[in-house]
Amino acid sequence: MNDIRSGDAMLTDWREAAGRFERTVRGAVLGQDRAIRLLTIALFARGHVLLEGDVGVGKTTLLRAVARALGGAYERIEGTVDMMPSDLVYHIYLADDGRPRVEPGPVLRQSEDLSIFFFNEINRARPQVHSLLLRLMAERSLTAFNREYRFPNLQVFADRNRVEREETFELPAAARDRFMMEIGLDAPRDAEARRALVFDPRFHDTDALIAGIDSGVLDHAAMAGIGAAIQHGIQASPAIEAYVVGLWEALVRPDEAGIRLPGIDMSALIQGGASPRGVAFLVRAARVRAWLEGRDWLVPEDIRAIFPEVMAHRVFLEPIYEMRRSTIVPELCRAVFDTVPAP
Amino acid sequence: MRRLAPILFLLCSSVAAQAQVRSVEVRTPRPFGYFLGDLVRAQVDIVVEPGFALQSASLPHPGAMAYWLDLRDIAVSDASVGDGRRVRLDLTYQNFYAALDARALEIPGFTVTFVSESDRGATTAKAQVPAWSFNISPLREVQPPARAEPQSYMRPDGRVAALDPQPLVLGGAGFAAMALVAFAGLAWDRTWWPFAGRGGRAFALCLRRLRTLFERPDPDAAYGEGLLALHRALDETDGRRVLADDLPTFLARHPAYRTEERGLAAFLDASRHTFFGSGPAAGTRLLAPSDLVSLTRRLAAIERAS
Repeated sequence: MNDIRSGDAMLTDWREAAGRFERTVRGAVLGQDRAIRLLTIALFARGHVLLEGDVGVGKTTLLRAVARALGGAYERIEGTVDMMPSDLVYHIYLADDGRPRVEPGPVLRQSEDLSIFFFNEINRARPQVHSLLLRLMAERSLTAFNREYRFPNLQVFADRNRVEREETFELPAAARDRFMMEIGLDAPRDAEARRALVFDPRFHDTDALIAGIDSGVLDHAAMAGIGAAIQHGIQASPAIEAYVVGLWEALVRPDEAGIRLPGIDMSALIQGGASPRGVAFLVRAARVRAWLEGRDWLVPEDIRAIFPEVMAHRVFLEPIYEMRRSTIVPELCRAVFDTVPAP
Repeated sequence: MRRLAPILFLLCSSVAAQAQVRSVEVRTPRPFGYFLGDLVRAQVDIVVEPGFALQSASLPHPGAMAYWLDLRDIAVSDASVGDGRRVRLDLTYQNFYAALDARALEIPGFTVTFVSESDRGATTAKAQVPAWSFNISPLREVQPPARAEPQSYMRPDGRVAALDPQPLVLGGAGFAAMALVAFAGLAWDRTWWPFAGRGGRAFALCLRRLRTLFERPDPDAAYGEGLLALHRALDETDGRRVLADDLPTFLARHPAYRTEERGLAAFLDASRHTFFGSGPAAGTRLLAPSDLVSLTRRLAAIERAS
């Protein structure tokens, strides 16, 4: 591997910090090394993350642990069916003097320092609320009290559980596309981790567990700057550019790329999606992955390591195949990588 | 009796001189009935005192003995008879005498020498093989009746049973077909034409491509294409795209290539640097073009063997 250029000692220092950050979170959340690595990538790529998984696998704990280890201002809100967009922005209440008051709500409360906005059970909120998130996530700004608020350090973490369908709302495509990654979370398979999670009392009290995490591992205020430095510091060769474009083309038009999946009409599988924004996110995340691996140039493995999490939720299937999405899309991703030549 | 004594003495004295050679006997199958070109055989048994050995230089040499007689062959065998030794000469002559009437011909005798080596010196004894004669007959009459046509003196050609060539033709065709099948098998194994495009010999085809590639003038482009060719061969072998990080899983699926793990790792690293890193210069430092060819050759050999 090439070492990162000596002039970029800052990036090297930050890579060590990122390693410490991962180790810290791994100490609190067992058996989720891949999810933690992906969350670290998302943090340095300045992308929003949606966690998806069964009930009780530690989605919320993981996001709280990450937020804690990152430090900085943190707000959390629970999605409910009666939540309105204004509930996010304004806090309306009757004051002691009996007069109604309007004060900044969860999003505005920390003002522009807000670094992590954690939306728990996002699929329980109505689409109106999701719509509010569109601008907040894409532009990191919001208009309230007749002025514009900017959140330069904001990252939105959301989670939703995969099982529940009652009283939930599917996220609109536009909102899903604004998440850099959708990370699926499963209970750890490792027997050792399972035993510890069940029997070690340390993991029973989540608040104490989170409080035990060192909160100053990363300097959250510098994250935006270091994220930009990584994007400029990691080079992409023409070969990798051609590779990414090839993957994109194969994902959108699998039949033309010669991909065949059993029992599926490949020409009528993909409805749309895989937006340019999504592919740009893919390269951003891949650059961070290359940096974490100690390289200053991209290789196909960087793309492959984050591809399913970044791209899978951006592909929209024809309705007839949508119900089998959870099996078709991973197979399609695997087939795309088995088909597109690298280099 | 008194007159006979000197003769006996003479005989005895002659016997005493010849004491080392006890007897010479010539046997022939028959003394008559020979024609032009016939082989005339004779067996000469010479019995000598023990300790005497034939001096082979004294034997007549095969070759022309006279204008009408050749010695074709002479074989010597040796056996003990009673308290003496018997040396047997098997002589094969060939007669070239074109006789016009039946007549006797004489085969000349010869002398062979026997030697007995001892501490005090060597004793030699000579055995005289006598001449013997055989009768030879003409092949044709001396004065045949007159005939109009000179050709009618010629006898018709002898009739020879016609040989059946079919078994030989069939055998030849069969072996030719077997050779063709064997050659086709070899061509299939080595992916020679017309099997050059067949699957399952990805590394062999890649090796052939590399050989033509490196004859090109632009070494950097050739190196890049060579790496690509080996990539495609790896992909075809595995049925999927093999990236650098996939080497352990590739080797787990294809354990035969485990011996080339180091070379494959160097190749994947060189390819990474060539295509995604700083360029072909960095790649050739990690894996020279000649190493690329030799790696592919070894991979092709493993592919053939597995």
